[in-house]
Amino acid sequence: MGRKRLIQTPMSTLLPRAALLSGLLISGPALGGFSLEGFTASVLSTAGSSTPTNTVTPVSSTTWSATGAWTAGGASVSWTDNTQGWNPVTNSGFTNGNFVVRNQSASAQDFSITIGMTGSAAGPLTISGSVGGQFLNASTALGSLTSTVPLWAALVDGTPARSEFNNTLVFAQPFQIISLGNANFSGVVVPTSAASNISIRLNFRMSAGSEASFSSTVAFQAVPNPGAVALIALAGAFGRRRRRR
Amino acid sequence: MQSIYHFSYASVGASLLCAATALGTVSAPPFAFLLSSEGVAGGGLASDFGSVVQVAPTEWLYQGSYHGNTGTTLSWIYLVDPDPFITGTFTVTNESDLARDYLLDFSLSISPPLAASLLSGQVSGTLTDSNGSGSALLTSINGGSVYSALADQSVVQALMANAFQQVTAANGTTSFSDGSFGFPVPVSGPAINSTIGIRFAFSLSAGDSVSFSSVFVANPIPAPAAFIVCGFLGLESRKRSRCGSSRANTSLMRR
Repeated sequence: MGRKRLIQTPMSTLLPRAALLSGLLISGPALGGFSLEGFTASVLSTAGSSTPTNTVTPVSSTTWSATGAWTAGGASVSWTDNTQGWNPVTNSGFTNGNFVVRNQSASAQDFSITIGMTGSAAGPLTISGSVGGQFLNASTALGSLTSTVPLWAALVDGTPARSEFNNTLVFAQPFQIISLGNANFSGVVVPTSAASNISIRLNFRMSAGSEASFSSTVAFQAVPNPGAVALIALAGAFGRRRRRR
Repeated sequence: MQSIYHFSYASVGASLLCAATALGTVSAPPFAFLLSSEGVAGGGLASDFGSVVQVAPTEWLYQGSYHGNTGTTLSWIYLVDPDPFITGTFTVTNESDLARDYLLDFSLSISPPLAASLLSGQVSGTLTDSNGSGSALLTSINGGSVYSALADQSVVQALMANAFQQVTAANGTTSFSDGSFGFPVPVSGPAINSTIGIRFAFSLSAGDSVSFSSVFVANPIPAPAAFIVCGFLGLESRKRSRCGSSRANTSLMRR
């Protein structure tokens, strides 16, 4: 009877079982995870120095929303960022945010902005993400946004795992908006573990009276280790064998 | 010496008049927003939901955020000038489980009224799959325009009609720049009595966010009366200057 039931079990029922088994294996503690322990925000600028304000609000048990601002020397940075620590169901986490940087000082200023979350994740990890933005010149002179290093980077423990918008050079007429375009990537493998943080960094120089805004995401996911992959394959083969019978 | 004073008074007077005509105010101009979604509206003066800082003699920087009742987060940073112009960036995040229609008005009181105007504007943005669902969608509402420039609450220019922007990658973004008006040559606009503004109307998918950078500039066309008054003051100062000079010459000759 039991055998007959197995034979008659439709494939649509077997597949979810295999997937559930696979999921349980992947999410095992041996594969690591990200524990949300905090949120980091730093702004370095030639305009001046001050301590950013950052208010973190829990959205769910694993998701947090952060709103912050920084002001010094006529320049300002503001952000809203949503962060999810390690999710054991999806085996992933992410940080995504919107940043607006404004230079109201009388001269061009350099900015280095790092927003992210602190914690750890056992590698290897795969990272995916994106960045898009606009440059707005609200002055009566020609405005510029430049960067001789990657304007945007996803960092794992402070080391770039992926960078975009390399060697940026953008000009805008008075009261003109220039779209910086967007960049998307996925499947970037980080062979090592994240020991302390995963973050987004922006580096650029911006003319007086200008504004730059960016939308950015970084998501990370555990790479199944060889043992888990072998178990998944075994589960698949087992299911196939049963169906054949 | 007297002529110098006369000339100075006239110059200062003319400058003040012209400045008053052009600037009109020295306090922060009221800058308000109204966010409507699913029949629920909220908002008020932007300064009540954040900060306002004067960054130039006639320019103010508004920053703030607002959490709507329908699971919406709105944040903004706008530079405004009652001269007038509105320029800046806002972000809307739809934190609900459903796609939402949004109507968002930013409105700036201007001073003084403009007898005639020259207009320019632009909009650009970035759509983000913020919840990593693998997709994000931004569309117009019923094929209308996403961006509308307002003068005294009436639409004077519109951009992004029939908008359709989508993200098809998990955690992806797409940037869009969908037109402008009045660049490089401003287009003529109507008389504007009390406010300029920008209206955004769009539908945004669940769990996703969109940022818009926008500009709306309404340059005043100098009224003929202002020219006449300034010209009159200029002539007056010139006349007094001449009189002063002739008096001085006469006194010198007498000596």
